[in-house]
Formats: sequence, structure tokens, C-alpha cells
Amino acid sequence: MKRPSGVGGWLQVILPWLLLAVLLLLPVARPSDNLIRLLFITAVWTTTSLGWNLLGGMAGQVSFGFAVFFGLGAYTTALLMHAGHSPYFGFVGGAAIAMLASFLIGLPTFRLRGPYFVIATIGVTEAVRVVMNNLDVTGGASGYRITEEKPFSQLEHYYTAIAAVALAVFVSTIITNSKFGLALRAIKQDEDAAADLGVNPYTSKLWIHAIAAGLTGIAGGIYARRAAFFYPGDVFAFQTGISILLMPVIGGIGTVWGAVLGGVIFGTVEEELVVYFPNLHLLIYGSLLIVIILLEPDGLLGLLRRLFRLFRRKREDSGSPDADEVLWGRGRAEGREL
Amino acid sequence: MAALKDVSFDIPQNQICGFIGPNGAGKTTLFSLITGSIRPSAGKVHLHGKDVTGMDAASLVKKGVARTHQVVRPFKAMTVLENVQVAVHYGRRAVTRTAIARDHAMEALKLVGLDRKANTLASAISLGEQKRLEVARALATMPELLLLDEICGGLTGAETGAMLDLLHRIRESGTTIMYVEHDMKAIMAVCDRITVLNFGQKLAEGKPEDIQNDESVIEAYLGKSTFGSKKRA
Repeated sequence: MKRPSGVGGWLQVILPWLLLAVLLLLPVARPSDNLIRLLFITAVWTTTSLGWNLLGGMAGQVSFGFAVFFGLGAYTTALLMHAGHSPYFGFVGGAAIAMLASFLIGLPTFRLRGPYFVIATIGVTEAVRVVMNNLDVTGGASGYRITEEKPFSQLEHYYTAIAAVALAVFVSTIITNSKFGLALRAIKQDEDAAADLGVNPYTSKLWIHAIAAGLTGIAGGIYARRAAFFYPGDVFAFQTGISILLMPVIGGIGTVWGAVLGGVIFGTVEEELVVYFPNLHLLIYGSLLIVIILLEPDGLLGLLRRLFRLFRRKREDSGSPDADEVLWGRGRAEGREL
Repeated sequence: MAALKDVSFDIPQNQICGFIGPNGAGKTTLFSLITGSIRPSAGKVHLHGKDVTGMDAASLVKKGVARTHQVVRPFKAMTVLENVQVAVHYGRRAVTRTAIARDHAMEALKLVGLDRKANTLASAISLGEQKRLEVARALATMPELLLLDEICGGLTGAETGAMLDLLHRIRESGTTIMYVEHDMKAIMAVCDRITVLNFGQKLAEGKPEDIQNDESVIEAYLGKSTFGSKKRA
């Protein structure tokens, strides 16, 4: 790995740890239950956002079908808990089942490319939702209830969700800096050219799909345990898949921190604004999406980057574009194709 | 209609074998058949005597067969170095460690004279440089057999000269080369053997000087009305 250079480089290394420390120590300051709840749900969504970003952002395979993994994670956790297992065993089980499902979905659909793959994922997620809605084991339309003997602990849920985000960031960072990450970027840009250099696009996509599904499954389990009551029309909803896709796109597709930013914005809007303005969130996503697609394909992170660059150039008056490129990476050109 | 029909040949080790022919003769199709992007309806491809017909490109790279494309296909949002790094990581040697892969990639870039551009985005270099990058990437997979498709097309005279020098050096390092090119001078200058294709069929095969004097080849390129008879008339 490259060693950090300059202020920006060090900031990128220190900031995540600082953020984690603040989140871990936050309960000491006795925040309101509502804030903890907000952070919990934001962390759950951010985990799915990071998961989707691995497949959609890094490998360029846009999937509308991540609700399948979220729902499977939720139900696997619930059923395992019902059978008397620990919820943490349930999360692992949820991840495993989601990964298994990702292979079943990926084996046929990754034979397809571009728009055909996208359409296939829409078909799969709708089919799964309908099936789940009609199964007895899911409770069907009347839903499923998790009963825990332990008393409800707000903080336990909170720390579980924070751990999931930390795991997702960790996995994403490792992959980004690995040879696998490089291969995924190559696949995103030109699948055939990547194959000509020895990369197997098919198996690479299958694996990153599985990792993404696993993270999403964990998030689903954590969500379900706290929600305690849910139904297929909720966790398997097409809308859930859209939300998971929307976050990294809004935040900045293809970058780890873009996915985090998108998750935070989504969580906040979903949990806070919806309470006061029931239909406003759709307007907000709609306008954000239009602005991002028209002006800044790299999402809000790309916008921030551009602003920062502008600011720096004014201050130093001699910022060479090359130096900027080195410091701020080159997510921009890569994010273009969605 | 068949793009290629009854074309059969051997590629001896450590030689530069040229393939020429008018537009549509089937040169690029031939490459696609060998590297598995098209499956032949009949016929076989053997590598060291083993059947590799229809094997996918990625597996062939692991067996030591790499190709370049006539139309360059760089990963534009990556640096020149990263482009080559992919090939080092996933080529025949499958290097895992990043630092070592970078060193190998840098060597390949030095060979084609692109080491100074290592940290430039692949979208920001000239076409000539992209052509060289294409060769560097293929080389970095450590192939035994290298298929080069029109690597001199669109290059200046000096650039072409440098590229042909490079081909000699690649051969000296023990790699066998199959070379398709429109530029007659280039192909005559570097090839040990030349195969001429026309309308999907093998027209002639032999040393460059034999090919130059082959009646049927001249006819295929210039048409039947021979210059000689017109002069006399």
C-alpha cells in the first residue's frame, strides 16, 4: 500500500478511526434515545450501501435486486432466533444464506451484460418477493414477529450496527487496495480487455456479488432483530432494493466514503424528515438524483472534492492539476458509466 | 458464408510469423478463433500439441497466450502503471504482492518506453502511446505466444521503427509472435515467415522474399490486370 502523503493523505487515514472512536464513545455523553435510534438505522443502511457499492460501484454491475439479500438476512436471523440460537449466530447465518442466494442468482444472470443484467435483477427480486409473500414460514402478508427473552437494550443494537459498518468499511478498503479490487475496476471499464489480461470476469463478479450479499444479509438481520416485527412486503420490497442502490449513487459511486456519505444522508432523511414531511423524501431523492446525474456523476463526494479543489487553487494560486490528481484520486472518470 | 475456410498452419517456437492479406481476408477473425472469443465451426487449435480450441481468453493467458487488439482498449480511468499491473497480477505468473507486481509492470513499461508516463491516466496519453501500452500489457502476462493485431496502425515512421525493434527484442527473450499488419514494409522487415490470406483462404506461405515475388500474392493485392502486359501494349 502507498504511504499517506500530505495533509489530505493523513486525514484520510486518521478520519475513519476518529469517527469510529466518536461513535463508540457517544453513549457516554448520554444522547437521546432518538439519536441512538437514528444512528442505528443509518448504520444499517450504510452497511447495505457499502455492500452494493462493491458490486455496483467497483465492478460496475448495477443490481436492483439487493432487497433479496436484505430480506433473506432478516428472515434467516429471525428463524434462527426462533429456533433458540443467539442473534449473532443468526447474523452469520443470514450472511451465509444471502451469499448462497447470490451464487444462485449470479450463476445465470452474470452471463448477461449491461442493461440485460439490470433487467434480470429486477425480475429476480420481484419473483422472490412474491414467493416469500406466499410462504407460511415468513408469516406471509401478516408478517413475522421476533420475541427475545432478554430485555430490550438500545445500546446493544447500536453497537451491533456500528460493528457491521466498521466491518463493511474494513472489507471495502481491503478489496479496494487489493489485486482483486484492481481486477474489478478493470472489469467495470472493459470486461473483454480484462479477460485478455487473464482476469476471469465471470468468477470475479460471482465472488464480489457474494461478499456484497453477505454484508447486506448481516444488515438485514440487524435491522430485523431491532424492528422485531416485519413482513416480506417490507424487507423484500422492490423499494428496499432501490434505496440500497440510491445511497452509493447519491454519495459517490465507486468510492468507500461516497457509499458511507450516501448511507448517512439516506438514513437521516428517511428517519427524521419523513416524520415531519411524509412525502418530502421522494422529492429530495428525486432532485438529488437529477442534480447528480446531470452535474456530478461522482455524487456528493465528487462535488465536495471539486469544491475543495477550487478552494485550494484559489488559495495557492499555483495548484498543478497533476498534484490534485495524486492527492484526490481519480474516482471521477470511473464513476461516469452507470 | 465462412470467414475462414481450411486455413491450417504451424507456428514454430521463437519465430515472428506474419499474417497479411487484403481487408476482409480474415486476419482478425483468425486471432479471435485462437484466443477463444469466437468458436470455430470446424477445426482445432493446438498449443504444444494440446487441444485448446474454444478455451476462454483468461484461461489461455494462464497457458501463455496473450493478444493485443487492433483498436486499443486501455482501462482509461486507471494509470498506465495500473493498466499493466492487472496483467502482472492475473497473467501466467499470477503475482500476488502489489510491490512486486508494480516492479514487473514498470519493467514492461520500460521495454516499450512508457516508464515516464507510468502515473499518467491511460486516457491522457497519445494513440501511439496507447498502442505501446497495449503491447506492454500483453507482454506483462508473460506469454509464450504473443498475438499482435496491427500494432503499427496509426503510428508515425519513427514510432513504427521503435515498435519493430521491440518485436525483435521480444523474440530474443524467447517469446513466439504471431503478427498481423497492414503495413507491408513493417511485416517484411521483422517476420521470419509470412502467411498470406485472401477471402478466408490461405494463398501462400513462406519467407518474406518468397512472398514478395509470389505471383498469386501480387495478383491478390493489385488485381489481375498485370502491369507488364499494359506496358507492352
